[in-house]
Amino acid sequence: MVASFSSSFSEKASKVDKIFILHKKNLHSLVQTILKHYRVIGPMKINGNVFFRELKEADELFLEYKGHTRLPPKRYFLPEKEVLFSYEIKGNEVIIKDHLEYLKDYKAVLIGIHPCDIQALNILDKVFISEFEDPYYTTRRKNTLIIGLTCNEPSEYCFCYFTRSGPNINDGYDLLLTDLGDMYLVEVGSSQGKSFIDQFSMFFDKADPQLLKKKEEKINSLVKQMQKLGLPFFNEIYSTMVNAFYDDFWEDLGRMCLACGKCNYSCPTCYCFDVQEESEPDLTEGRRIRRWDSCHFLSFTRVASGEIFRKDRTSRVKQRIYHKLVYSVNNIGTISCVGCGRCIETCTANIDIRDVVKNLMKR
Amino acid sequence: MKNPYIPKLARITDIRDETPDTKTFCIALSDGQRDFRFSPGQFVELTVFGYGEAPFSISSSPMCTDHFELTIRKMGTVTSALFRLGINSVIGIRGPLGKGWPIEKMKNRDVLIIGVGIGLAPLRPLIEYIIANRKDFGKVVLMYGARTPADLVYKYEFSRWSQNIEVHLTVDVGDETWKGRVGVVTVLFDEIDVDPKTTIALQCGPPIMMHFVTKKLKELGFPDDSIYLSLERLMKCGMGFCGRCTISGRYVCKEGPVFCYSEIRGFLERAV
Repeated sequence: MVASFSSSFSEKASKVDKIFILHKKNLHSLVQTILKHYRVIGPMKINGNVFFRELKEADELFLEYKGHTRLPPKRYFLPEKEVLFSYEIKGNEVIIKDHLEYLKDYKAVLIGIHPCDIQALNILDKVFISEFEDPYYTTRRKNTLIIGLTCNEPSEYCFCYFTRSGPNINDGYDLLLTDLGDMYLVEVGSSQGKSFIDQFSMFFDKADPQLLKKKEEKINSLVKQMQKLGLPFFNEIYSTMVNAFYDDFWEDLGRMCLACGKCNYSCPTCYCFDVQEESEPDLTEGRRIRRWDSCHFLSFTRVASGEIFRKDRTSRVKQRIYHKLVYSVNNIGTISCVGCGRCIETCTANIDIRDVVKNLMKR
Repeated sequence: MKNPYIPKLARITDIRDETPDTKTFCIALSDGQRDFRFSPGQFVELTVFGYGEAPFSISSSPMCTDHFELTIRKMGTVTSALFRLGINSVIGIRGPLGKGWPIEKMKNRDVLIIGVGIGLAPLRPLIEYIIANRKDFGKVVLMYGARTPADLVYKYEFSRWSQNIEVHLTVDVGDETWKGRVGVVTVLFDEIDVDPKTTIALQCGPPIMMHFVTKKLKELGFPDDSIYLSLERLMKCGMGFCGRCTISGRYVCKEGPVFCYSEIRGFLERAV
């Protein structure tokens, strides 16, 4: 039984004495074998784009994607639509059904997730497992083994080095793979990761500690490549951001933004949701559901009286960026941008958070 | 694992008309729970099955634990559906949620309570608490305003409250029966006598009202940390997840709805 909880508060296995090799020729049979035990979620090439999907066959796994998948894996922890509970109305009686029951036997492996997306899960943990616990998120998270993968090559949108969430990562995974040619170096990040290796030991081999050196060289060359972007570290610009809140610059950005919400949906750390009711027309049964929402939508802050608290687009375009770089620091002690670059890739109006930050630094 | 999204079943035990568009619903939990405890200023999420869930301030005395009341204005989908329900109808309740008025900080001090319209709802539990523990507080003054005399809620309480605390009323527009003050709530400042050094001010109403009341309190010399406001935002999950209610990243549902003005003043976004 795997009960992985690879977040900041899980136990951390000491790293150095726990490395293994997974030969690439064994990958296929490993995945084919674990498919018998788990739901296996991994990157898959669909019509030329790469998405995380639940695999049916080991062949579907596509680990060679550059930078980031089109959409983050957050839907496997916080689905775009989820039933929170359902109910039957019988006269003046209501019978409620808890949908948490459907996750009773949930057991998954998420493979091929890059450091930026691993860090995103570490961030979501701090939101959903705090004073209150979101039972749906927590159940999926605790029952998903994370097999991370460091990048071979960043995409033109990537800047994880400046959000300190890549190209390497130190926590949040059960196992971490690094592509070293004909093999993967496998680092163990938790006791659940070690149990996994023990359970499927026929696919793993002992590793020479020298391989860590090879990994380091690979990471260093990725760092050098990314440093050329010349950005500030996003966790060090808090005061600049606070002081820039009323800068005219935001008005320009407000005019550019189409308020379409694509950045929210493609962001691995955007978690805001709407709670809605779905009911049968005869009112005999209904469901309470949640759906991803976007702080760029006018309806996001509308209250019953009709008042809208973020009416102008400038206030909404600011909301997302301030949430990432300021409010998260206040609330959970870390920025919540992981530098994956998906919002840049997807933005129809060509808003680039890297340029936003560069611009504000100059002012 | 417990699912905090699931409401407890409850029943409407009584309904009182307050104004043409506002009613007070008395509610008892169906599981026989007789110790529904909350602090004044907290809210619940109310479900009308088939229609949805919405947040409402608890408006009854915190001393009463076998049932509680919500004073609700008919506004949107959930409230319209609720207004069609009768006594004994089944509803759902989650809560109490959020943080209420700073009762410990108020003890042994003078208290100025300012409400407008249905904004008196989250203040009523506080007034009842003060009256039940009257010796713990100094001078207590209520300033309450509404659009018209018909829009004043809790009219049946005013004479009892007046025996224990000072009550000052005003309406924006009077009618032939109205003998009192006419004007927005801030006109009442000229008939009250409060010492900003010893008084703690608590307010709830529309953002525009709280903006002007806060301005007036500052002019009178109230320090920021003696001013408290109950903010209205759309609290969907009530647990600090969904993000709908945040102001400058602060969750109104979890950290509020009552905030001290010294905190609000530090928000990047304007709260009122």
